[in-house]
Parts: sequence; C-alpha cells; structure tokens
Amino acid sequence: MVHSEARDMHMSASDVALIEVGKNVQACMQCGTCTGSCGSADKMDITPRQLWKLVQGGFREEVFNSRTFWLCSSCYFCTLRCPRGLPLTDTMAALKRIATAEGWFKDRKSPFFYRAFLDIVRKYGRVREAEMMGKYFLALANPAVALSFTPLGIKLMVKGKIALQMPSFSGPGKLDNLYRKVMELEAAQ
Amino acid sequence: METKTGSALVIGAGISGIRSALDLAEMNYRVFLIDKSPHMGGILSQLDYQFPSDHCGMCRMLPTVNRDAASQFCLRKGLYHENIEILLGTEMTAIEGEQGNFHVTLSSAPALIDPEKCIGCGQCGAACPVEVPDEFNAGLVTRKAVYLPVPHNVPNHFTIDSTACTRCGACEKVCPTGAIDLKLHARRTFRVLVVDDELVVRDSLKEWLGMEGFSVDMAESGKGAIELLSANEYGLMLLDIKMPGMDGVEVLKIAKEMRPELPVLMMTAYATVETAVEAMKLGARDYLLKPFDIEALVSKVVQQYESTIQSNERQIEVGAVVMAGGAGFSDPGQSINTYEYKVLPNIITSIQFERLISGTGPNAGKLLRPSDGKPARKIAWLQCVGSRNLRENADFCSSVCCMFSIKEALLAKSKTDGTVDTAIFYMDMRTFGKDYQAYRDSAEKESGVRFVRSRVHSVEPGGDGSVRLHYVDAGGREGDEVFDIAVLAAGQRPPTGSEALAELSGVELNQWGFCRTESMFSSRTSREGVFAGGSFSGLKDISDSVIQAGSASLEASSLIHSKGGGLRVSERNEGIFRDVSRELPAAAVALCSCGGVLSRALDMEALRADLARGGSVSRVFDVERVCTQDGWSTLVDNLKESGANRIVVGACMPCLYGKRLSELGKETGLSPSLMDIVDIRTPLFPGDETETSSAAGQISSRLKMSIEKLRGANPARTSARHVVQKALVVGGGIAGMTAALAIADHGFKVALLEKTDSLGGIARRISRAMDGTSIPDLIEKSVARVENHPNISVYKGAGVIHTHGQEGNFLTTIELEDGTSEIFDHGAVILATGGNEAATQAYLHGKSDSVVTQHELEERIRSGGLDPASLQSVAMIQCVGSREPGRNYCSRICCASALKNALYLKEKNPDLAIYIFYRDIMAYGFLETYYTRARREGIMFIQYSPEKKPDVALKEDGGIRITAFDPILDRDIQLDPDVLALSTGIVPGDQRALAEIFGIEVNEDGFFVEADYKWQPVNSRKRGVFLCGLAHSPRSVPESIAMAQAAAQRALAMLNRGLIPAGSMVAEVRHALCSLCERCISACPYDARRKNEDEERIEVDELACQGCGACAAVCPNSASVLRGYSDRQVLAMLDAALEL
Repeated sequence: MVHSEARDMHMSASDVALIEVGKNVQACMQCGTCTGSCGSADKMDITPRQLWKLVQGGFREEVFNSRTFWLCSSCYFCTLRCPRGLPLTDTMAALKRIATAEGWFKDRKSPFFYRAFLDIVRKYGRVREAEMMGKYFLALANPAVALSFTPLGIKLMVKGKIALQMPSFSGPGKLDNLYRKVMELEAAQ
Repeated sequence: METKTGSALVIGAGISGIRSALDLAEMNYRVFLIDKSPHMGGILSQLDYQFPSDHCGMCRMLPTVNRDAASQFCLRKGLYHENIEILLGTEMTAIEGEQGNFHVTLSSAPALIDPEKCIGCGQCGAACPVEVPDEFNAGLVTRKAVYLPVPHNVPNHFTIDSTACTRCGACEKVCPTGAIDLKLHARRTFRVLVVDDELVVRDSLKEWLGMEGFSVDMAESGKGAIELLSANEYGLMLLDIKMPGMDGVEVLKIAKEMRPELPVLMMTAYATVETAVEAMKLGARDYLLKPFDIEALVSKVVQQYESTIQSNERQIEVGAVVMAGGAGFSDPGQSINTYEYKVLPNIITSIQFERLISGTGPNAGKLLRPSDGKPARKIAWLQCVGSRNLRENADFCSSVCCMFSIKEALLAKSKTDGTVDTAIFYMDMRTFGKDYQAYRDSAEKESGVRFVRSRVHSVEPGGDGSVRLHYVDAGGREGDEVFDIAVLAAGQRPPTGSEALAELSGVELNQWGFCRTESMFSSRTSREGVFAGGSFSGLKDISDSVIQAGSASLEASSLIHSKGGGLRVSERNEGIFRDVSRELPAAAVALCSCGGVLSRALDMEALRADLARGGSVSRVFDVERVCTQDGWSTLVDNLKESGANRIVVGACMPCLYGKRLSELGKETGLSPSLMDIVDIRTPLFPGDETETSSAAGQISSRLKMSIEKLRGANPARTSARHVVQKALVVGGGIAGMTAALAIADHGFKVALLEKTDSLGGIARRISRAMDGTSIPDLIEKSVARVENHPNISVYKGAGVIHTHGQEGNFLTTIELEDGTSEIFDHGAVILATGGNEAATQAYLHGKSDSVVTQHELEERIRSGGLDPASLQSVAMIQCVGSREPGRNYCSRICCASALKNALYLKEKNPDLAIYIFYRDIMAYGFLETYYTRARREGIMFIQYSPEKKPDVALKEDGGIRITAFDPILDRDIQLDPDVLALSTGIVPGDQRALAEIFGIEVNEDGFFVEADYKWQPVNSRKRGVFLCGLAHSPRSVPESIAMAQAAAQRALAMLNRGLIPAGSMVAEVRHALCSLCERCISACPYDARRKNEDEERIEVDELACQGCGACAAVCPNSASVLRGYSDRQVLAMLDAALEL
C-alpha cells in the first residue's frame, strides 16, 4: 500500500467525512492506552490504536471494512484514560454513523442489530426483546444465525427474561416526531 | 583587595540557587540567599545517588578560587560563604523599584525555636506526641511535629511544624538550652471577637479557641460588635454573615472603616458562600464554612495569629534578583489515578523509591516492599505519569524522568547484586544529554534492565501485595506482568507558591505555570532585573540547571556592573594578620559553659589544670554562652588581652563558626588558620549514657588534640598569584560571541579568534527558531556588538598554535590570517569552537537531488529553491548515523529541527503530507507542545528501530521511494515523497589539536570533556580553561547562549580579582626527603603538581591544589605534606587523644 496513492485518490464523501473525524484523533501519539483499556479489543480485527493511525492516514477502505468500531460498546474506558484527552468513544460512534450512512456494512451484523433496536424503540418507546430479535434475524436473512441463538433464547425464556406475549399497543408511534427531527438534523449535516 | 559594591537576591536555595549565589558571591557581590523551606538543597537533599557515577558531587560547586572564603565541607550539609547571607524559612513579600535598584521586603516565619540556642540534642523530638508523614522520606515514614527537616544538615536545628503542632508544650519543658518558645502566653494577648446571633456557635467557638490559648470576646449582633470594636483592640474578628438586623457584610464595611488593619474571617453556611466570597472582595481575609471543621477552623485562626506575630520583616536593597524556585512534582493520586497510587501500597513515586533505597531512608538502604517489608524481586518503572498529559495541563516533557528511572533501575540492580528484575515502561526514551544514550545502552545490554515500549494502561492488585500491570506492546499484543513494586515517574510541576510569587514580583508565567522567559535568553524574565535560574525557567536536569543558574547570575552580574556596581577598595586587608612565626606557640583556650551545663557536669578546675599542663597553653577561661552577643564579646576581649598566638574555643557545632572565625581574625590580628573550634557539647548529650568521667575524658582529649594540632601549625602566609585580567575566546559562533560580550561588558579585554573569515558559525545556516524568532537578526546584532565593542579584538582567520602557563596567567601564541603570529597574555580561555551538521551518504544523500539534510532543507526554503506550495509530500528520517555504534549519542536538536521545519512547511502548505520516521522523539521540556501541535496538524509519525531502518530507493522516474515497516500497522508501507530530509545530527569540529595545546581531553565522539558533567559542566579539567557551545555537546541556540554565559561567569569569577590567593590548606614538598618517584604527580586529581626538570624537584601549584591530601598518602618518604596535617602534628594529636 502506498500512502501517497491513498491520498491521490479521488476524494469521495466518505473521504471528506473521514478527514473531519480524523481531526478528533490527530493529536494521538499512539501510546496504546486505548487498546489496552478496551474490553472488546480481542474481538477486533485491528486494534483501536491501529484504527486511529489508519484514520490519520486516510485509509478509507481499511477503516470502513474493519469491524473494530462496530464492536465498540461505548464503555468510555479509553476516553477516560487517554493522556491526550481525545474523544475516542465519540470517534468510534462517528465512524459507525458514516459507515451506516454510506452502506459500509455488507458483511456486518451490528448495523442490522442497531437498526432493529431503534425501530422497536421507535415503535414502542421501549425494547421488546422477542420482537427485536425477530426483526434482527429477518434482516440478516440467515437462518443459521437465528438457530445459533436458540439455546440462549430458551434459557432466557425459562428465566422469564424474554416475554412472548403480544405487545400492547398503548402509545406506539409517539416517538416518531423525535426520530423525524433527528433525521432532519442528520441530513442537514 | 578590591570588592564590589552591588548586591543581589537569590530566591530558592536548591542547587541552582546555590550555584547563582556562589557565582555572585565569587564576583564579590553581597548575596542574600533565601528559601521558604527550613533547609537548603531543594529536591537534591533527598537524592543520595546521581547518575552516571551514583555519587553526589554537589561539593564540586564550591569555589576553587579563594577557597578560604567558603566552607569546604559537604554542600548537602550546609554552606558558608563570607559574601552570602543565607536566610531559611524566609520569603519575599514585596519588591519595589527597578532594575539595579530594587527595594525588597523579606519576611520570615516566626522562629519558635531559636537556632542560636538549639544544639540539636533531640530531646524535644522524643517528647513530642504528634506524628505526621515525613516529607523528607516522601511520606514513607512519620516524624514528630518538632523535627529535623533534613537529618544530615550541619548545623542541624530542630524546627516546629506549625500546622501539625498542638502546642502541648512538652518540648518547651524538656529543652535543656531554653531554645523553644511556643509563645503560648502571647496568645492570651491575642483577642478574638466572635460575632454570631446563635448562642451555641458563640459558646463553642469560645471554648475551642480558649483551649488553644486565645482570649475570646463575644457579640450577639452587629451593633454589639461595633460597640466592642470601638472600645477594645482585637487581633481578629470572626463574623457571621446572616444575622437579624445588621448583617455580616454591613458590619464588615463599618469595621473596615474603623479598623482597616483588622483581619476578619467570615462565617457562612453553604447557601451564602457567594456572599462570603463577595465579602472577601470587601477586605475579609477568608471564610469558615458551617458546620465547622474544628481542625480547619483552629488552623485558620492560628494562621491569622501567626501572620500578626510574623514580624521578622527586613528591608534589603539589591541590584538584581535571581529566581530559582525549582520545580514541584505532580501527585499521581490526583486526577483519574488509573495507577492506583495511594490505593495499593506498593505503588510509589520515583522520589519515594529514591528514599526507599537510601541509606538514610526507612529501610537503611535495603530494597524492601513498603507493604510488608519483604525483599523486592521485581520492580517496574512507569514513565510519563503526569507528563505529556494534555488533561492535566502538562503538555510538556519533564525532561528528567527517563534518566532518573534508568538510574533507579541500575541502583536497584547494584543493591541486590543484579538479582532484581527491572523493567521500564516508556513511550519515548529521552536520552538527549551528553553520554545519556551510552548510559541507557549499557543499562540494557550490560545490566539487563528491560525497556518495554508501552504505556501501561492500568494497574491491579496482583495478589500477596504485588501489583499486576496491564499493557499493550508496540506490536499491539496484550501483556500483563506481576511486580513487587511499581514506581511512577511522577512529572514535574511549577513550584508551589509560584503564582503568588509571580504576581508579587510582576514576572509573567507561561501557560503551564513556569516562568516565561525570553526565547533566546532563557534566564531573562518579563521584568527587567529579575532573572530565572534552574527548573523554574523550564524543566531541567542537574547539569542544565547548573548552566541555567550560571546564565542567570551572569545576567544579574552584568546588570549590577552596568549600574555602577564597580570595583571599590574594601576595608578588608589581606595583610592585617600579625606575623607569629617567630613566637613560641601560646594557646588560649575558651570553654563555653553552655549556661552552666558544662560546670554542672564536670570538675572545671581539674579540666583547666589538665589543659594547662601541656605547657603550650597560656590561658584557660570560661564563657557563659559563646553563641550570644554578650558571650562573644567576652570571648573577644579575653582573647585580645591574652595575646595568645593560638586560639582554641570549646563550644558546640564547629561548622557554624566559619564566618565568626574570620571576624575574630580581624579583631585579634591572628590568622584564622591558627584557631580552632572544638565540639565539647556532644559528649554531654543525654542518650549516650556515658559516665561523667568518660565525658570529661572525651572533652579533655578533644581539646588537647586541637591544641596539639595548632601547636604544630605553620603560621607562614599563603601565596597568591597575579591574574592577567584578560580573556581569550576561541570560536566566533553564537557561543563564542556571547561569552566574549559577557566578559567584555564587565570591563575586561577579550581577544576573540575565529578560524573562518566571518563570525556567526553554524547558526548562520538556521533561519528561525522554533517559536519563529529570527536567528539571522540575532547573529547580526551580536556581530555588530562584538565588532564595535571597545574591549573586544576580533581576529578572523586566526588559530591557536601554542600556549603555556596556568590559570590566571597564560601566554598563547596565535597564528593570524596573514601567516604571522602574535603572543597574547590572558588569565582565562573559553573554547567555543562549535560543530557542524554531520555529513552522510546514507539514504541516497548525494545521489538523489531529492534527498537533503535538515540544514539543506532550511537553506533551500530560505533561498527560494524549494517552494512548499509546489510539494505533495515530504518525508524526514531522524537519527541518521546517530545513536548507534560509531556515533552513539543523541544530537538533541534534530527532533526539534524536524518539528520546526515540518510545522513551517505545513503552515505554508496545509495540504502537504509530511511523514517523520523516528526512533524516540526527543521533544524534551516545552518542545513537547510542538510535537503535539505537529501531530494535530496531521503530520504522520512512524517509529522505526535500528534493526529495521527505512529503505530508500531510486525510482525509474528519478524520484525516490521509501519502504518502511510501520510497527503500529504491523506491516510495510511505501511512500514516494518529493523531498526526503535527513536529520544527521551534530558533530564537533576537529578539536584534538586544540585540546592537546590546552592540555584537556576530547571524548570518543570528539567533544571536549568537562570536569564534571553535572556540577562543573563548563569547566574543563584544566583550571582556567572553560567550555561552551557545540564543542562541548549538541545543544540549541538558546541553550548554547546560556552555556556561554555560564562559562563566561566562571571565567569572570577568576578574572574579577587581580590576585588569586591560595587556600591555607595546601600540600607542600620537603625536597630533602623527596626521591622524585613522581607518584604524587599521578595521584593528584587537580593536576597541581609537576616535576621541574631543571631543578630536579617536584613543585606544587598552590592555587590548583585543593588540599585533598592524596599526594601525602601515596608519598613513601613523607616528603609530601599537607599543610596543617604534618606527621608531627597528626602523631601529637594521636598522643593527646590516647593520653600518652
């Protein structure tokens, strides 16, 4: 890979967005405190430290093809400990937003999960686990995933953690205005 | 004898303050050296070991010229100099006037223990019931409220920690000399007025304050308070804010009109804190929060009380002020504390480790875990704790911690015969000083210290008191490891109280709270006439602090000199001592009875008779207390009357008497070398419960030894040498010019030699400093001043071909441009021959036009040969040929140059991509902020190791391609930059010939070798030859200027006097016994001996001789003798001691 070539490439919208995001982490001196603090680091394909460097260097493809930022659980450990005081968790979230907006998630499950989660919240103002999981599995269109969750689902049901009763329809749709406004704001950005 | 009329104030008695004070004292100015702490030495008093030798060496700062003016014992224990007045526990409270003529108010804390009376016996400490953490041991153990601030001070007086002391009075009762006065009765006369509408508040305050010994009056309303105020005098008013009728603020306004001086403390609940703060603007001193914290309340009242009795104010007039307040340390327990400091007992700071391993520390030098006292087997050091941290307003590097930690790791190894496992976790190992890289390499390769490039992110308990460190290594692999102790390299902070000091003195601070200094003249502050020395001007290690102190004292001295603090004839006259060489020894012995303690314990009659038996004693007499003014006059009168030619005074603390003996010399006309103070007090201390008879025996033998020593003393006068008050400066770069100007400004002639045909040196290749200051302007100004200075003669195209002579008197032959030669006489020489950017053939330099050095890059930009706007990308490679075998040192300036050039290019062309390949970014001190800025600007930094250097290849189109391994991305990357700039570092010129001419050494890298890197950084090992600038070691322009000023200062200390007197304690040779074996010549560490081939004898240079006695020890025939310690004297002393 050639740095200079990466820069010479025609600038797409995601390049511009990435440069904006990159400003968050430019003062990074690659000490690795974020990677060390990260509870999900062992599941990530590249470490947070590597991710920042790729963001700095404008490696768009590699950044958005990575699953690292999708796995960020927003625990804020890295942000707390970063000696440079960088908004690392916010940067992870920003990457999720850009990736979602631009469709960089063809091989990812997390975006579908987030989508299912938000849709259910929009509908009921709270999470209904069973329906949300159903939506999620449908969106993935992969029965294998649904099957792999079955033992867990049964366990949860036995313990009464997932309710199978039909949802009550008291007050659905009340969050529509909120969602619409957010979308407007995001579109304006 | 001539002396100078000026005087100066030095604030802070750490090492840089001591250095500045000694510098100015050696210039014959009167110096006030103050420190708010009760001891000297600053942070260094806690550090027993300093790299690279693990010795101390502070004493090397003591004067080597006119040694008799100063104390000649361990400087960590104390200091005496005839021109320095040391005021401890003292602060500056006001400064008025302007440069050259400041009026300064000094105020000292109330002395509850009279230092004149305290004999350091320790009975008070034993009686004191209070225990608080001991700062000297960094809180690892406790101490009493009455304590010795530093256990090794001489003399060592006890001090009372006012905030911890409960005023129980136990110490006052046991003090045998009545030195302690807690001023408890004085509290009765301090009347406090309590104004509150609630009875319960009034009553409890009366009770609490009454128990503390204060008199308390009460008023239940504002009106009542006003009535009481008009009738009585009060020392303090405690005033409630919320009262019915007249509220507290109204009362305050009226009270301030009636009694403007009356201190008022407001009392408030949480709800009205804002009103209390408003009240402070109206003149209230402070506020107390309800419900009361009794301790805080009492301590605030006591503080007000003490500020009223803190009447030890003193006005002084000084021409200049040097601020050398040093630095403090960050507390890792503050902030987010992910390292569990103060939570886990085996997590300590580097200062605590230093105390832990110290022989005077809590474990007497054994390396034991603080938690359970078990031997430590594995120790980790964590770097950059509170440094390089933007969240703690610490966007700077503390500069000292890397070396500090390496030293501590090596110390741990040496204390355990290498068995302890040591690991240093770091981000960049900043070994930027001279020889630091070699020290690091030897720690790693020879001693097995592990260096782990990683920032530890968290610490957990590891079981059994150990600590588990979690980290990610450079390659992104997770690691965790268990250690017995983790040492946090706590970063430095501005000294406490610096904000108040800055406000008081009108000196600006920088954004981090250190002193703001001029960009090129690092000791000049924003207030003219006030100079900054040591770490207060920015983070510095010992060597740089000593240099900075020299720069500050030079600036102060130049100022005082320019304001007319010129030479005047002093009343002191060297020839006043009477010649007693033809008289028989007749000693007068004075015995201090210490207020009757001596006469109660001993049979004085018997002692007197015993002493008189020796024959050489002409008179023995008692004095009530020698330490008091009365006692001293009795002593002087008696001695004058006795006509004795030897004087022995039996008293306590002999070290206190340096100054007094020189006064006594003037009064009696007898040389102080024929006087002695003997400690007869210590044998009578309680504790070593010896029988009185044995104490009497000790006292008698101590006195007799002293009598015998003086009996054999040679009263011959010491020699002196005339000084040629001119200097030679070799090298016309920025360092040479600065040194020449500094000396010439003091009125002495200087010859400045420059081998090329123009002045300016390597700095001519630099366009601007990091902060944008124009270097060409600086050079032009200096050149113009040098060339027009009446005291400077410039010789271009000239070089030294020969010299002979010694300090104070050199004759040097120089070869001029036209091939003729000329002979100069001069007293001192400063070698400032500079250096160059190292040449290289690495990375296609010389083969591709795109590859340049940093200087070439700078020149191309300046000449317009390179337009930043036309570039797409630029790469830089650091440490080219540096920090590896062949040239194993860091050139210190290259990282800064790279950052400077990169930031400049980025400023001119924000779209430019810049890549910097580095090993460790040496952005020490405030340079770190430029590193942060460079990162922020989007400059990419790629770390490389010497095993995997970047590869540079020519492309077919003539451009270059860099292939390098990026350890963060863990793969190779390729770049095709338009320009590649190489940081090749600094090499000295060929100085070997010059070194040989002046009899000094160069190290394996070709730099001149200094006498002592830390303590005498500008002295060479040959006296009278001083070093500065790049010829000594790589450094930046302002650092070279500071060093040149320090070197000039050392030269001036000698040039300044027309005559250099030798010390009274020097070696001599008895030629009849000498066999010319020359062992003494090789044993002499000061190069003070040589063989006179013509006369076939060994000669001693009495000025160079420091009286160490090494020659006397090696001489097989007793032909070499240290004056004052001849065999006859020493054997007679032994006889006296053994009562033969």
